[in-house]
Amino acid sequence: MSEVSAEQRRLNLMIALSRTRHRLTREQIRARVEGYDTVTPGASDEERQRADASFQRMFERDKDELRSMGIPLRTITDPVHQDDLGYRIDGDTAMPALDLSLQDAAVLALAVDYWAGKPLEADARHGFAKLISAIAHGESPALPFGGMSTTAGADAIAVLAAAVSDRQVVRFEYASASSPTRRRTVQPWGIVMRAGLDYLVGWDVDADAVRTFRLGRVQGSVRTVGEPEAFERPATLPLGGLDEESPDHVAVVAVRPEAGHALRRRGERVGAEDGWDLFRVRYRHADLVRAEVLALHGGARVVEPAELAASVAAHARAAREVARG
Amino acid sequence: MVRMLGMVAYLEVHGPTPVATLAEHFGVTEQRASSELWTLGMSGVPPYLPDECLDFDFDALDEGLAVLRDSQGVSQVRLSGQEAVALTGALATLIDAGTAPEGAAQVLRRIREAFGDVAPVTVLEGAEHVGTEIRDVLTAAIDGGSAVAIGYVDAQDRRTERTIEPHRLVAIDGVGYVECWCRRAEDYRTLRLSRIESAAALASEQTHGPSQEPGFALAAQYEATVVVARGARWAFEDIAGTSIVVDDETATVSFGVTDEDWAAARLMSVAPHLVSVAPQRLRDALARHADAVLAAQGA
Repeated sequence: MSEVSAEQRRLNLMIALSRTRHRLTREQIRARVEGYDTVTPGASDEERQRADASFQRMFERDKDELRSMGIPLRTITDPVHQDDLGYRIDGDTAMPALDLSLQDAAVLALAVDYWAGKPLEADARHGFAKLISAIAHGESPALPFGGMSTTAGADAIAVLAAAVSDRQVVRFEYASASSPTRRRTVQPWGIVMRAGLDYLVGWDVDADAVRTFRLGRVQGSVRTVGEPEAFERPATLPLGGLDEESPDHVAVVAVRPEAGHALRRRGERVGAEDGWDLFRVRYRHADLVRAEVLALHGGARVVEPAELAASVAAHARAAREVARG
Repeated sequence: MVRMLGMVAYLEVHGPTPVATLAEHFGVTEQRASSELWTLGMSGVPPYLPDECLDFDFDALDEGLAVLRDSQGVSQVRLSGQEAVALTGALATLIDAGTAPEGAAQVLRRIREAFGDVAPVTVLEGAEHVGTEIRDVLTAAIDGGSAVAIGYVDAQDRRTERTIEPHRLVAIDGVGYVECWCRRAEDYRTLRLSRIESAAALASEQTHGPSQEPGFALAAQYEATVVVARGARWAFEDIAGTSIVVDDETATVSFGVTDEDWAAARLMSVAPHLVSVAPQRLRDALARHADAVLAAQGA
């Protein structure tokens, strides 16, 4: 039995669970699938217990491994004996024919590079290996393109991606722009990425409502809570304000000549005032526009809305206080 | 195991294949590939009758040729949720940043179809606009090995005219850049695509090849220590090499300052949550910055 490698045992398990019509119980799996510790006849109680424990451990690991590969390994409860668990692999698990070319493989390799050094790198590599399986062997072209992810939010994405697909509740500390930092417990429904800002959309269990979280504002690590398959994900992800064609707030920003080029490019010129150019700028997050104006070192000031102008001034005053002691 | 299933998928599509080719395709030694093929051939369900195992021609395998007679319906499995997030997220991000090669959109569409399930990741269009005409000039120059004259606005908001030799388009955190040799700076630069205001192709040939160093290799001038209210800690978590120590009320953040103006601007963005800033040098920069903003804001 020890000659059977873990990989072979998992292959055997996958084949056995795909073939079964109804389900296989743990004892059936142990007896039929080659590679598990069986009890030799005439074993002492102690040997028997050790073999049992070893089987349970191996099976748990194999089950997790197959699930993490994306194989839908379901737990089937017997309608009569509720605590008698069985297992089956459901549905069509096979990768469909995608007919990808070597050029496509090179494009996919860029997607793997994007996550270099981040927790999603391993997942990207596995996915890449699956997708290129059936491409005829040859030299992939080297493409003059690349990418990488450096944000802190990228660390949370790996945990959240798993939690979204496993439908497992997550918990994390979150610094909202409008309310104090506190721990959130969320049913994660989906991840939204846009131009370097990543979001989680889900059901906030304590608030009893749909919420959108900016991953950059998640503090420390994200932990999963409870069992997988704990909730249903909606077929359409509610994007709230995220999916609107253009950002929903408008500010008027006065920009000094020869300054604020990025604002000038993005905004729409609406006039001039005392030698400053006025631009109408659309935005989604007030704190990001405020940070942009603050970073211009006096090269810009907010004209409208008044709250944004006041908060720019308040930030500058607070900075001066700390800087001067 | 993903690789072993991959070999089955390969053989199903391409028929008998030399083990050496499989080894190269899947990036392993021939020995490893051969042993994995043997493992595959031994797999199935007891009592391992011929129609219950993957059927390999073991004689051929001994000769270095993989021949799969019957895969028993075993094949490569679909993408997992995490794999789909990683690959579709990155591809869609590259496309949105304007730094994806031709064909990326079709690949993305096919992967999405193949995944089938409710996609766990959605990528939305960003606000940064990268003009296709600028992108086209750059990619043509990359392919042709020539230079480009650009108008560029840098992060300190200075507008310059420069001649660059573009090498690669890259997306960093969803934002598009061009890696290039800048003739004006006589050094390698990574320039933000959305800050390029104009681009004109030049006949002049490139004089420098791509840099072997990754971008942003700036040396820190000094170490800063900042104490902030615990709730503002996120604002520092993306600075490379930052260490953060948290207690009940506050977080103490240490990081290397490479650009004093940039660091002062970052501190300004969370100013109401600042408790203390060290050293004096950074406090002075912060005070100058705050004064300039207050003078402009007229408050």
